Amino acid sequence: MRTVEILIVILILAGAFIAASFFAVLPSPRQISSPNLRQLALTTLQVLDTDKALTETVFKDPSDRAWTDLQIALSACLPPNIVYNLTVYDVVTLSDGTVTYQPANSITNSESGVGTDSEAASYLVTSTNVTFTVAPQKISGTLYILNCSDANGWWITGYTAQSLAADLYNLLSPYFQTTVLVNSTYQLGLLLNGTALKGETLRNAVVINTFGEAVPIPAGYYATQGYYAPRDSYSLYYHILGQKTRNYNWTWVSIVGYPFYYVSNTGFLSGSRNNYGIYGMKDVGSAGLNAFLRGLDGIAYDARWWDGSQWKNAWWQDQWGNWIYDRGWLTEEIGSVEFTSEARDLSNYYGIYPAPSQMASRALPVTGSKSIVNNYHLTRRATMFELKTVSDIQYCAAATFSHNGGGALTAIGLTRIPDIRVTALALLMYYRPTIYKSEFTLRTGERPTQRLVVLQLSQQGGS
Amino acid sequence: MTGVTIDHLVATTAFIAAILVFTGLFAQSMQAAILYEENRHVALKASDLLDTILLSPGYPYHWGEGNTTLSCFGLQEPGASGYTLSSFALMRLLSISGDPVEYPTGSGIWYSNVSWGFGGGYLLVPVSECVSYETASRLLGVNGSYGFQLSITPTLTISISEVTLNPLKLKVTVEGVGFPLSEANINYLLYWVYVQDDQRFFNVTSGNGKTDQVGAAYLDFSANPRVDGRTAYTIIVYAQLSGLYGVGYRTREIRTKAGNIIPFIESYEDGKILLAHKWGKNDPGEECQGALQFNASFFVLSDDFELTLIRSWRNLVNYGQGKPFYRIQIPTSSMGFLIVTYWTGNQYGMIIMPWGISILGFSVLFGGNPSGNVWVATDFRQVTVSQIAYQAKIACWSLRGYQVWKPGWWW
Repeated sequence: MRTVEILIVILILAGAFIAASFFAVLPSPRQISSPNLRQLALTTLQVLDTDKALTETVFKDPSDRAWTDLQIALSACLPPNIVYNLTVYDVVTLSDGTVTYQPANSITNSESGVGTDSEAASYLVTSTNVTFTVAPQKISGTLYILNCSDANGWWITGYTAQSLAADLYNLLSPYFQTTVLVNSTYQLGLLLNGTALKGETLRNAVVINTFGEAVPIPAGYYATQGYYAPRDSYSLYYHILGQKTRNYNWTWVSIVGYPFYYVSNTGFLSGSRNNYGIYGMKDVGSAGLNAFLRGLDGIAYDARWWDGSQWKNAWWQDQWGNWIYDRGWLTEEIGSVEFTSEARDLSNYYGIYPAPSQMASRALPVTGSKSIVNNYHLTRRATMFELKTVSDIQYCAAATFSHNGGGALTAIGLTRIPDIRVTALALLMYYRPTIYKSEFTLRTGERPTQRLVVLQLSQQGGS
Repeated sequence: MTGVTIDHLVATTAFIAAILVFTGLFAQSMQAAILYEENRHVALKASDLLDTILLSPGYPYHWGEGNTTLSCFGLQEPGASGYTLSSFALMRLLSISGDPVEYPTGSGIWYSNVSWGFGGGYLLVPVSECVSYETASRLLGVNGSYGFQLSITPTLTISISEVTLNPLKLKVTVEGVGFPLSEANINYLLYWVYVQDDQRFFNVTSGNGKTDQVGAAYLDFSANPRVDGRTAYTIIVYAQLSGLYGVGYRTREIRTKAGNIIPFIESYEDGKILLAHKWGKNDPGEECQGALQFNASFFVLSDDFELTLIRSWRNLVNYGQGKPFYRIQIPTSSMGFLIVTYWTGNQYGMIIMPWGISILGFSVLFGGNPSGNVWVATDFRQVTVSQIAYQAKIACWSLRGYQVWKPGWWW
């Protein structure tokens, strides 16, 4: 009897194995590791258009010799086991504004087509009789980019603040009346004192901190007046910074991570290091952002903290030994975040394309008891990523928070390493400068034309 | 009672046997699935790694133009967009295509061997000024987790062979990765030496042509001018068809009875080159014991394929301790090539050294050795280096995980 039962068990196991084998189909080796055909197609089109040869060819008559040359060049630069189909579409805008794509010509090296297991890349070309230029509207105000040679950055791994400053300069200077690189903490001190560096307008400026979670601190006045001795903390400096931001109506930009988490000066802080061993830097912790926001909101420094029901004195510390000041730790790790539709639109408008999906580990609360919007009279503008809710509290990964009385904070709470294009887009979203597109310059009687080139690739041979 | 016991024994044995068999079968499927998943991950890593290398200029941006220390690795041309690579950054990669060369022998100074006389072309860069695989791997964040090998090779292979020497007639064939490049336009520059009344004169001849259906073209120098290829010559050929550009060269490198001359880049930053007598390296034989006179010229090419002489040097190197090398300094700011003509008696030869990988269509092989790894994923992209079409191929393998290393016989 038992033997019969066991035989039934064996039958069940065999059935389970067959069923599992039937459903658990492993992909073919080619699918595991095939060349990235889409990228190959795109790079092939780019190489063939190195000196605009592809652009010129696709506007020629299909009987022109240039098409044969293009086919020879395509066959020569692709491996023999790859078949291709290159199709050119005429982009036609109808009278009602509808855009249609009409096939203009096609070349292939496969009589039987490239099959369904193929990848394609597209490439839009404009006829050579067209010139197209853009001129951005200038934002009134100065763009300051912190480029201090005597400070260290944090959470900008792989870059230096100076390299990021150079990139930001290239990206954003066309949009501003004046762009000034702040090359030392001394110059930063001058700015905070209200002294222009090159005769520029100080008020209504944008200040981009390229040092990540650290902010350069000038020696002298700001190092002494910004130091809160009872807790060995430079959080008072951030309180002053918040006040200055409000008074000068600045937009302070934090490019990555937790804003105002460290202060840095390789001179007078040369013997200090943060928790990760970087010298010339000192931890301020979560007290930095709290102090800045209090300064921005015009609230006194007042080194106490709010436990949700009452104010307590400032000698408490959290489980990591950090001093709890004001509302303590504010940010939340919310994982993957997606561009808002506004960010997608403006990404296209300004031609700046950071990845629309990012990881946010320092998102700021915009609802709940720690909401920076409610507690500090801020208005959230130019939200880059969709808000995310964690434990009934909404968090914002990147936006500009402007204060009713003046001043603003652009906080990009994404995970390192910073993509500087996110910062550029965040600022452009906030200020919305118009892009003036120039008219097409054509020879008399000609119309501008565009063609879409689609290169489809597939591998032949093998299983 | 006995029947029941036997029934139990048979059932238990059959059950244990069935469990063992099916556990093995399920484990086999799961093992295959895990391996497939790991291999898929390696393939994705290969693609990502290739894009990371090709789409970033690294930092400092112009690291290829000096001997600065890198803090970020990438090969993109600074200021360019897309898959456009820096010809200088490629020069600084520690090549694994040939064994490193020590010069002077026993000095402990080693040179990265990008090319040792291939077609008469030499490129020997000091190892101390090269970027090693370990450095690149660390900066890319894959050290200890993934290995890779990167090869950057011209898309078009231009081969030049001698049909006759006097008068000189050359056959040029242009081939792509897949097929020959028929009907391609070719432009050439011939730099050659001729002797008259015991005087040596250097001349440059240029021209153009077209390849036939099998991608071949013949260049005939029997008249206007008539070139005697038995003295020495260097030819550089550019081929182009529908946006696809390639370059090839051939130089008449012969071993005279006094040997020949090898150019070593002594200082990459300053452009100091040692023109070394062959005797000082590898060939301390009788046949290399003699003085070699030389004329070295550094040229740059303009966009319209015009050759411009920047500077030339004329001197002598000898075997032994006397004058084993002659030091020259070339400008490093722009791409060009150094042609060295050497002679002893009536024997002439030439060698060529590029300054910038793409000017002569040199290849670069960089990275680790993939042999012995069970799974190596590959991927490639079309790139340009100073308008010359290249293909960048990566081979990537995992250094950690399950069954990544092929066991040897002793395992």
